[in-house]
Amino acid sequence: MRRSTYVKIRKLTALYVIGLVASVWTLFPIYWLVKSSLTPNKLMYTPQPKLIPAEWTFSHYQELFTKSPFLGFVKNSLYIALLVTVISVAISVLGSYSLTRLRFPGRGFMLKSIIYTYLLPVAVLFIPMYVAISRYGLNNNKNALLVVYPTIVVPYCCYMLISYFKAIPKELEEAALIDGCNRLQSLAKVILPIASPGIAVVSTFAFTLSWNEYLYALVLTTTPAQQTVTIGIASFNFGDQTIWGLLTSSSVIASIPAVLLYFLAQRFLKTGLAAGGVK
Amino acid sequence: MKTAAVKRRDDRLLGYGLLVPVAVIVFVIIGIPFVNAIYLSFTDKVVGVTPKFIGLANYMAIFSDKEYWKVLKNTVVFTVGSVGVKLVLGLLLAVVVNQNFFGRGLLRAVLLVPWALSGMVSAVTWRWMYDDTYGIINALLLRWNIVHLPVAWTSDPSIALLSVIIVNIWKGLPFFIFSLLGGLQTIDGQMYEAATIDGAGKVRQFFAITIPSISPVIAITVLLSTIWTFNSFEIVYLITGGGPLHASAVISTYTYEVAFLQNKMGQSLAVAGSIIPILVALIIFSMRKLNKDD
Repeated sequence: MRRSTYVKIRKLTALYVIGLVASVWTLFPIYWLVKSSLTPNKLMYTPQPKLIPAEWTFSHYQELFTKSPFLGFVKNSLYIALLVTVISVAISVLGSYSLTRLRFPGRGFMLKSIIYTYLLPVAVLFIPMYVAISRYGLNNNKNALLVVYPTIVVPYCCYMLISYFKAIPKELEEAALIDGCNRLQSLAKVILPIASPGIAVVSTFAFTLSWNEYLYALVLTTTPAQQTVTIGIASFNFGDQTIWGLLTSSSVIASIPAVLLYFLAQRFLKTGLAAGGVK
Repeated sequence: MKTAAVKRRDDRLLGYGLLVPVAVIVFVIIGIPFVNAIYLSFTDKVVGVTPKFIGLANYMAIFSDKEYWKVLKNTVVFTVGSVGVKLVLGLLLAVVVNQNFFGRGLLRAVLLVPWALSGMVSAVTWRWMYDDTYGIINALLLRWNIVHLPVAWTSDPSIALLSVIIVNIWKGLPFFIFSLLGGLQTIDGQMYEAATIDGAGKVRQFFAITIPSISPVIAITVLLSTIWTFNSFEIVYLITGGGPLHASAVISTYTYEVAFLQNKMGQSLAVAGSIIPILVALIIFSMRKLNKDD
């Protein structure tokens, strides 16, 4: 009896020590990002920064929105990410419905091609895409991203939506078809309402993927008027030396969609992940 | 009432019709530039000039370039180092958050955070912490007397690659923890009870039950992470820029450098093209695990 209590205490201690170390490792960089965005310059540029600054300030945020092109970057990012999400989710819903509910030759090939493109990294594709976009005179035009981002987002959305659609019992749709609905009506009236929580999750991911994208935006846009948040922030580097207030505050703002995604995933992890993992 | 044959034909037509937009994206918007790029890697393409076919010259040029091999080696070290550590720590932490203890939910929530942040935000944050003069990491190491001189995290050739590996681990660990946790949750607890009755210790149980039960999950997690890590860009580009002297350059940043700083488009396509065989192998392995149709 005493021995087993001893073992339990030892195990709990180990769990808490590991948990604490892992939490500090995970959260400290984020704390430091937020803390730096609120630290006045005179306390920021010292070789011995305090873990908790003696003074706080919103001046970096003020400067960011009033004296830098940041707001323009945010508008561009919103424009791109919203449009790409709507276009990509619509395309993917139709494609995934076709791939899960209809039978036709070439279906398996199409499924494979989608997973292939989902796995094909941007690092291999960005120069080819740059060459193609330049040929059509679309370089340094943010609208080029509307063409290019679906190549990342659509394969991902299809991959996710196919699982959701497969989980919907065929019988529900068959009933609708017998009642005289055609396929498109049954998609709109049966499948979409049932799959809507899944579509919401997929849309959030699609939005975040576009909002966070870096490499394509880096090579396809060159002037601030066309650039998105990810590229715009990094370009603050080239200004003067003490630019970290702007860099950190803009990074905090740029992470807002990530925060939403994070809370969504939280719910997901509690309820859905275990069930989804079994498939 | 339509006949069954007509219905089947209608379904087939609709099936193709609904797939047209996806097919355009996969085969036109990705496919055509991709095939064209393979052709251009055999030309002397520079921006704004008609390319001329030069055979294997670009590939010969990069394969005989010491810098290329250095970068490829860095990429392998970066990938194997990051993925290896992420797997070991991910497994440890997945087992930890799979135990029952007070605060487990909170710990899970905390460990997920870096996953949600963009590569750019992670890179900016760490670069600021790594700063030679004002960075918090050096400040703490000096304050605690762990080092006596500031460490040049991003500009010392022997440390730069390690610095970007650390950031990649920080950013990529949640994916490992939660996908392995998903695997752990499917293991039947009765197997452990049976093993305990048979007298197997915890360590023995871990290697005889836990690892074999989740080995498919481990395989797919490692494969996906290997593909992503092998091609990651922002972390290296924004923290060290691949420097100093290519000490931390990886294939993706080197491709960018050859294309836009050295202005050799054809050669940069050869750099990107040269890793396609490795990628295709990884992708084919992953496909076997991911293919949902059968």
